[in-house]
Amino acid sequence: MKSTVARRATLPLVVLLLLLLVLASLAMGDLHLGPARLWAALCHQDELASTVLWQIRLPRLLVAMLVGAALSSSGLVMQAYFRNSLASPGLLGVSSGGAAGAVVVIALGWASWSLVVLPIAAIIGALVATAAVLILAQHGASTERLLLAGVALNALLGAVTSYVLSSFTLTYERNAQILFWLLGGLEDRTWEHVLMCLPVVVAGALLWPLGRPMDLLSLGAQEAQSLGVDVRRLRRSMLALATVLTALATAVAGTVGFVGLIVPHLLRLIVGPEHRRLVPLSLLGGAAFVLACDLLGRTAGGLRLGIVTSLVGGPFFLWLLRRQA
Amino acid sequence: MNALEITSASVPNRLTDVSIRLLPGTLAGLIGPNGSGKSTLLQVAAGLLPSSGAVQWAGRLISAVPLMERGRLTSWVPQEVRFEFGFSVRSVVAQGRFAHGDDDAGVDAVLAKFDLTGLATRPVNRLSGGERQRVLLARAFATAASLQLWDEPLAQLDPRHVLEVLAHVRAYTRQGNTMLFSLHDLRVAHCLDVVVVLHEGRLCAAGPPADVLTPELLQTVFGVRVRMTPGLTLELP
Repeated sequence: MKSTVARRATLPLVVLLLLLLVLASLAMGDLHLGPARLWAALCHQDELASTVLWQIRLPRLLVAMLVGAALSSSGLVMQAYFRNSLASPGLLGVSSGGAAGAVVVIALGWASWSLVVLPIAAIIGALVATAAVLILAQHGASTERLLLAGVALNALLGAVTSYVLSSFTLTYERNAQILFWLLGGLEDRTWEHVLMCLPVVVAGALLWPLGRPMDLLSLGAQEAQSLGVDVRRLRRSMLALATVLTALATAVAGTVGFVGLIVPHLLRLIVGPEHRRLVPLSLLGGAAFVLACDLLGRTAGGLRLGIVTSLVGGPFFLWLLRRQA
Repeated sequence: MNALEITSASVPNRLTDVSIRLLPGTLAGLIGPNGSGKSTLLQVAAGLLPSSGAVQWAGRLISAVPLMERGRLTSWVPQEVRFEFGFSVRSVVAQGRFAHGDDDAGVDAVLAKFDLTGLATRPVNRLSGGERQRVLLARAFATAASLQLWDEPLAQLDPRHVLEVLAHVRAYTRQGNTMLFSLHDLRVAHCLDVVVVLHEGRLCAAGPPADVLTPELLQTVFGVRVRMTPGLTLELP
């Protein structure tokens, strides 16, 4: 039984944590900005500090938060959809699908046409991956089936990406861009990237009212339908939102693993499984988690985000498997 | 007007041309050997499984009833559920109120009715089979739907809870509500208003138990011989 105190206190605590992490992310780095200088930078009174803040740290901060919110809420939705708490964008191969889509348009040189090409390609790739998972593992599938489907898909999409890497004669710049996607990171993110993943806010808002019906669905589709839930419509919106959220995150930060697995899980341990609480919490908590991982990577001398989340997430995942067994 | 009317419902390989009619206030049992189509018929009746044929609730074709309203009119309880997430007993029972748009109305009373007050805060994935079943029945009661379709609600209950649940459903149908549930215990079937017998996906008989549950029918359908003996009789104190 989760105490009501823990339930009530979690949201304000997560908000507080997020605020602290935001301040720390803006202040820390090669150029340390104290409170006074931070303020001066914000108001454009200190030229150097203001350039660092507005051109480097703020876009990176916003991308990190949007990516975290997207991946974490996407994981939450997938877990409710498949009625399996191990479902997540990374394990199911949806992230890889998004990455494959992005890599293909980069290799073809289409990504430079317009700002929307990359996110759209990522969304298409992720949709293909989602469709494949649906075919491979039916709703409410067992953990084994779901994870095996993910393994197969990750391998397949990895092969697509490797093929693109090995068979296209690419310029150094494009190769570097592709490598960036595969490793997942937040280096050199610009306001363009913030714009690219801004639709995350819209998707998050659309997710908000689905909490209650998601509760019912997570206990069984037919049961939910008999209680008055339009299951077909709910499932469609859930899949669309989860896929688009993952794709947008992948389009700007590459494949960042484990966020969608860890954050909903931790929150569920603290506040229980009710999605009305979990939806807002996983959006905010995901933002805080990625921000914390990025901060950790930066202070550890430039570890990429994807590496940090995997270093944290891998052991956590193994612990979960052990706990389930 | 019938509370439930199914007209020549067929589902390929599972159900062939089944028609039944239940008057309001009927407490009806659905019996038949394993694989005779009981669960399928209940799903068809609940509008969860498409069939050729027509299903009407209180004279309305269910295809014309909006999904949300279906949740208020009818309640279906599956035989077995897998709870992946640890929702509290209370919150699962409160899900019965989804179609009404409220969270609480009558939930505490229903919890008490199904002997779940003490378990209200327990996560549902840490319950025994019988407790889980009572949670599902309580959720069905919480909907206050006037047509209840339950799939083997008594299968995992201990004798006392079987009697209690039977007392509740009896009281519920006395108020004019209608209930159809599948069961295997022919002795329980014998004390219901109506018994519907399925055999190999076809309707075999339907009517008052005294007329339907004849030794001949039980011999053909179940392959058992019936003998009246002074046996064990259980009742609530």
